[in-house]
Amino acid sequence: MTFGEWVKTITFYEILVGMKSTLKHLINYKPVTLQYPHEKRTLPDNYRGMLALLRYDDDTEKCVGCDLCAAACPSRVIKVISSEVPGEPTKRFAKEYSMDMTRCLFCGLCVEACPVDALAMTREYEWAVYDKRELLLNKQQLLAIGDRSFQVREKRLELQHPNVAFFNVSFKELPQKPS
Amino acid sequence: MADVAIETVTLTIDGVPVTALKGTLVIEAARQMGVMIPHFCYHPKLKPDANCRMCVVEIEKVPKLQTSCSTPVAEGMVVRTATTVVNEAHKSILEFILANHPLDCPVCDQGGRCDLQDFSHESTPTTSRFVEVKRIFQKEYFSPLIETEMNRCVQCLRCVRYCDEVMDVKALAPSGRGTMTEIKHFSIHELDCEFCGGCVQICPVGAITSRLSMYEFRPWMLKRADTICTYCGDGCQITIQTKENELIEVNSSHGAGRNNGDLCPRGFFGYHVSTHPDRLQHPLIRRNGALVQTTWEEALEFIAETCLSLKLAHGPTAFAGLIASRCTNEDLYVFQKFMRLVIGTNQLDSSARYGHINGVRALLRVQGTHRWTIAFEDIVSAHALLLVGTNITETNPITGLKVKEAVKKRGAVLVTVEALQPAIGTISNITNLAAHHVTAHPERFGDAVLGLIKGVVEEGLVDPSLTQRAPEYVKAISEAVRCLPWSAIEQATGSTSSALRAAARAFADAPRAVILVGQGVLRAPGGSGVTTTLLDLLLLTGHHGRPGCGLAPLAEENNDQGAVEMGTVAEFLPGPGDLTDQAVRERIAGLWKEELPQTPGRTLMEILDDARAGTVKVLFVVGENPVGTLPHAARAKEALERLELLVCQELFLTETAALADVVLPACSYAEKSGTFTNTEGHVQSVRQAIEPVGESRPDWEILSALSVLLGYPIEYREPREILKEIRSLISGYGLLGPAPIPPRPDAAVVEGYLKKGFAEDVTSRYSLSSSTDRQAGNLTLVVAQSLFHSGKLSTRAKGLLELQKAGALALNPADATLLGIAEGDQVRLSNARGQMTTSVQVRDRVPEGQAVFPEHFDQEVRRLLSVSPDPQTGAPYFKTTQVKVEKV
Repeated sequence: MTFGEWVKTITFYEILVGMKSTLKHLINYKPVTLQYPHEKRTLPDNYRGMLALLRYDDDTEKCVGCDLCAAACPSRVIKVISSEVPGEPTKRFAKEYSMDMTRCLFCGLCVEACPVDALAMTREYEWAVYDKRELLLNKQQLLAIGDRSFQVREKRLELQHPNVAFFNVSFKELPQKPS
Repeated sequence: MADVAIETVTLTIDGVPVTALKGTLVIEAARQMGVMIPHFCYHPKLKPDANCRMCVVEIEKVPKLQTSCSTPVAEGMVVRTATTVVNEAHKSILEFILANHPLDCPVCDQGGRCDLQDFSHESTPTTSRFVEVKRIFQKEYFSPLIETEMNRCVQCLRCVRYCDEVMDVKALAPSGRGTMTEIKHFSIHELDCEFCGGCVQICPVGAITSRLSMYEFRPWMLKRADTICTYCGDGCQITIQTKENELIEVNSSHGAGRNNGDLCPRGFFGYHVSTHPDRLQHPLIRRNGALVQTTWEEALEFIAETCLSLKLAHGPTAFAGLIASRCTNEDLYVFQKFMRLVIGTNQLDSSARYGHINGVRALLRVQGTHRWTIAFEDIVSAHALLLVGTNITETNPITGLKVKEAVKKRGAVLVTVEALQPAIGTISNITNLAAHHVTAHPERFGDAVLGLIKGVVEEGLVDPSLTQRAPEYVKAISEAVRCLPWSAIEQATGSTSSALRAAARAFADAPRAVILVGQGVLRAPGGSGVTTTLLDLLLLTGHHGRPGCGLAPLAEENNDQGAVEMGTVAEFLPGPGDLTDQAVRERIAGLWKEELPQTPGRTLMEILDDARAGTVKVLFVVGENPVGTLPHAARAKEALERLELLVCQELFLTETAALADVVLPACSYAEKSGTFTNTEGHVQSVRQAIEPVGESRPDWEILSALSVLLGYPIEYREPREILKEIRSLISGYGLLGPAPIPPRPDAAVVEGYLKKGFAEDVTSRYSLSSSTDRQAGNLTLVVAQSLFHSGKLSTRAKGLLELQKAGALALNPADATLLGIAEGDQVRLSNARGQMTTSVQVRDRVPEGQAVFPEHFDQEVRRLLSVSPDPQTGAPYFKTTQVKVEKV
């Protein structure tokens, strides 16, 4: 043992080094804990919160029921039952759309998979419930989340560019089967 | 076939030497060695068109890229499929296609199994240099079941070519030029065709899709089950695609099964029967005159108790059983074992009695086989084909495709003796392809056959070796046909003697000839006799016994052949062995370790007679519906009402089940496993696609449970165990290979027939049918199969109901004009037995003097029909009658 080490031992130098931050914070007190219900954290821009379904600016649903979100989901949260829009031949939509949020990982793969940007992650996270069943969300609930989270809405897809003018449009002029 | 010399060439594909048959296309040779050259317009079933240019490859010493789908292989050819030049070419072709193809994959039903998607993904042209706006076609109403989205079309014309080359329907055509080419159907109204679904299956992209499953699925969600279709005797392999126990769609992949991926409307669109809301979900029992829901335990205990007490009182002869030949071989086998061992009676029959038995009996009599001696491959490679009363497009559409292939691709000579005449129509008409055609009266197919035999004899086409082998036979037949004056034959058939002679010559001269006999013959009076006479024709021309030649009776129901082989007809034990054959009885008794009952078998009509007479008191009916099938004249309802116990195992509450004391819910083919034997005798696997509906159980399980309660357990763990037992009885039954191995005619039986057997009814067979001159103004009503339905079962399939909802009377235009009737008019049909009204369709294919009504909607028509059982085979004949047609 050298002299230097001997001095450090008898003066508890290492302990002083260890206590340095503690002592610094003792003097410079700045609280880290957020007083959660009263204070809220600033969320990062790409925060992945509650999922929502979106609408176009004319209040129609964006979702075309293509099932790609369900295919992308790693934990089988999403269930889509798609069909043809009644009275609008060749147009596809999600007749039923449900999410089992108890299983969701908030990975955002569904949002990435969506070809029409009908799914989005909101900045909502206060979804603690007393009953798990309240986390099984249907299409109306998901659309409601979207409505309150996203005020600015897109134009309908077929109006955006002529090359998508026939993406999932109904053929209103389609003659019905002659009776 | 063995007589074709096999020439091969050796070439190099991507540095690997390949040996291929001469004439093989480069794309096929590459596929053989595992290299898939991207393509759209090429399809192995179709002639090369080389219009999509996707399959270009580099061939050494050829300056430019060549389309591999139209270039046959040559000796020493060096092909490169993956060079930079080729890849660049693929990329630019895809870029051109994607210049117009919309990127709506997410909403396209083909997305996930689309060729264009796959190839684009492979060649990754992620950007396009095209800035122009994509083409947009005006959408038109196409059809109730097939939907088009022409914006997605890549103009490969596969659908058009399939419809023409394979189906011979020619319902589709391209219209327009260049990128604006659009697939259209002829006519201003909706698509009206065979609805085989071929265009849907063959479309490489999502331009043509099925409306029945539209947007209900994405390909990756589907669970597949390869099974066998139940709608006709052809035994097509279908793939039922299900999503969470829901039937989504049916298709059949190229190269699969006996149908090679081709389907008919029944197979493609008729799958919703299994999940129809009217399916029986629970056992029903009759209480105070009404059927009420009950439990399995209660229903089975009630049956067992009643059976035991009645058996004690009246003995086993008071019991009888009927089974539909739509059941699996396993069901049929367990049924006959149940009847023979548990009940102790041979009084059982199946729906093979309606006609198929006639063909089997004729084959057994003349050549000692109960099956075809040919397979579908022999039909395709035949040089001459004779179709007698087949109505093949409607009754056996896929066998019809084999005939079409033989005629259109291989140049076979087609001779047709049919109750329809050549005419262009919305569905294909086999007589259009015929080189020689005789429009026969539906009750007089035999006369036309006699005309052909007379032609053979008079043209000196009788096989000289047969004359040596069996001079008496040849002499007897020659004399018999010489006695028939040409004038009478000409009058009966409406064909000239020279036409019949020419047809006879064409048939006799062919090295390989096949005769197909259909329901028109087998379900008409004298069905067995005419089939025997057709075998005479084969014998006389020397074709009989030659490889690739033979007579093929077409089965109407999917397992008619199985019903015969499982011994569920009155005269046969499993095998089939004759019920009266002591050796067969002993062998089966040895395997079953139980004596077989001594009583004789009773046919369908005899069982009904016995029931009416009160000697049969208990009837087990499995899927069979005599009340709904036989005409009112057969008094089947009256017979069943007299029974003390009627047990029905059914899918639906049919006319027969409504009379039952206990109705047990059975599984449809989609919910059970087993095997079906198709018309050519090929045993194929049926696989479960969905869970049983409600409390329904497979038929064999129900019988097995009953047998336990009746004190003679016949128990199996699974259908495979039953098949194993069947194999112990019939060695090698159901080897489930890719193709059947047809039996050879039994030389001893043929010899016996030529020496003596023929003589017993030669005079009755070789006389023209008594001229049933119809009264002026009367038409011959023919109750026939329609292409869009099969039996009564398919009338519950929502897809098929879109195609044909109700019966309509088809008339020849001349008759219609004469009666002052136009398309859609209401007419009254009447005869001595009753009357009915229906609407009229005017069809060119219906010969004058005939009126055709679909048998699937025959509730009313059955009142007009009479029924006459065949004196030999007991087959009930009720398909034709005379009616007076008046406009209302």
